[in-house]
Amino acid sequence: MASVTASSVKFSSVSCLIKQNQLSNLKKASLSFTGNGFQSRRLPVLRFRVACAAKPETVMKVVDIVRKQLALPEDRDVCGESKFSVLGADSLDTVEIVMGLEEEFGICVEEESAQSISTVQEAADLIEELLEKK
Amino acid sequence: MASTVKYLRVPPNSASLEEARRRVFDFFKTACRSIPTIMEIYTIDDVVTPSQLRSIVASEIRKNAHISNPKVIDMLLFKGTEELNNIVEHSKQRHHILGQYVLGRPEITPDSATKDQGSEYLKNFFRSNYF
Repeated sequence: MASVTASSVKFSSVSCLIKQNQLSNLKKASLSFTGNGFQSRRLPVLRFRVACAAKPETVMKVVDIVRKQLALPEDRDVCGESKFSVLGADSLDTVEIVMGLEEEFGICVEEESAQSISTVQEAADLIEELLEKK
Repeated sequence: MASTVKYLRVPPNSASLEEARRRVFDFFKTACRSIPTIMEIYTIDDVVTPSQLRSIVASEIRKNAHISNPKVIDMLLFKGTEELNNIVEHSKQRHHILGQYVLGRPEITPDSATKDQGSEYLKNFFRSNYF
């Protein structure tokens, strides 16, 4: 039961909630998509996963590749929200990172989507999308 | 390998720096995507990894990063594509690839070539005529 509620709120769409057949839950969840107060007993991990759609392992792999490519020292913090330009990558570095990700995950990134990548999180999301389509 | 015969008919010059930049990225992507083929043709899997080859290609492109004239960039891209075509269609040989692109780069062959030659005088002597 806990897993069902977890998945439904993660996708945050009302259609999933209807599966529960409990009007009280429906009302609770529709009022607050990120309403951890009501359900914190059952879903303790939701707090950290409100906005991101990519798995943490994917993000970690992307961070690894970025770190190796830009030769960043270990203490330089690279998280989901760091932009490539802030980390010291010029446009050619960004393209190279995208090619490295292509090789690592076995995907093929389209031209337009590659242009729009500016943070680590966006890259991870794009990878997830392409992996799902395969 | 349709992507390698792009420049048989020369495309019109880039209208702007932006378009030239886009062509550079396209060229870089074509090169990266043909890296697995290159590694297989010349059997250099035990000498370099694909990511090292990628950084080699990137450093070659970066050597001309200061150019701002789109026509010059087009010319450089033409030469780059020609070189890539030569490599991919096996017109070159393994020692060409290794000598021109792999050896002599400090990241890849960690200075085994320069043994300890002895004194500072000799080091300067080997480097140039004037010191």
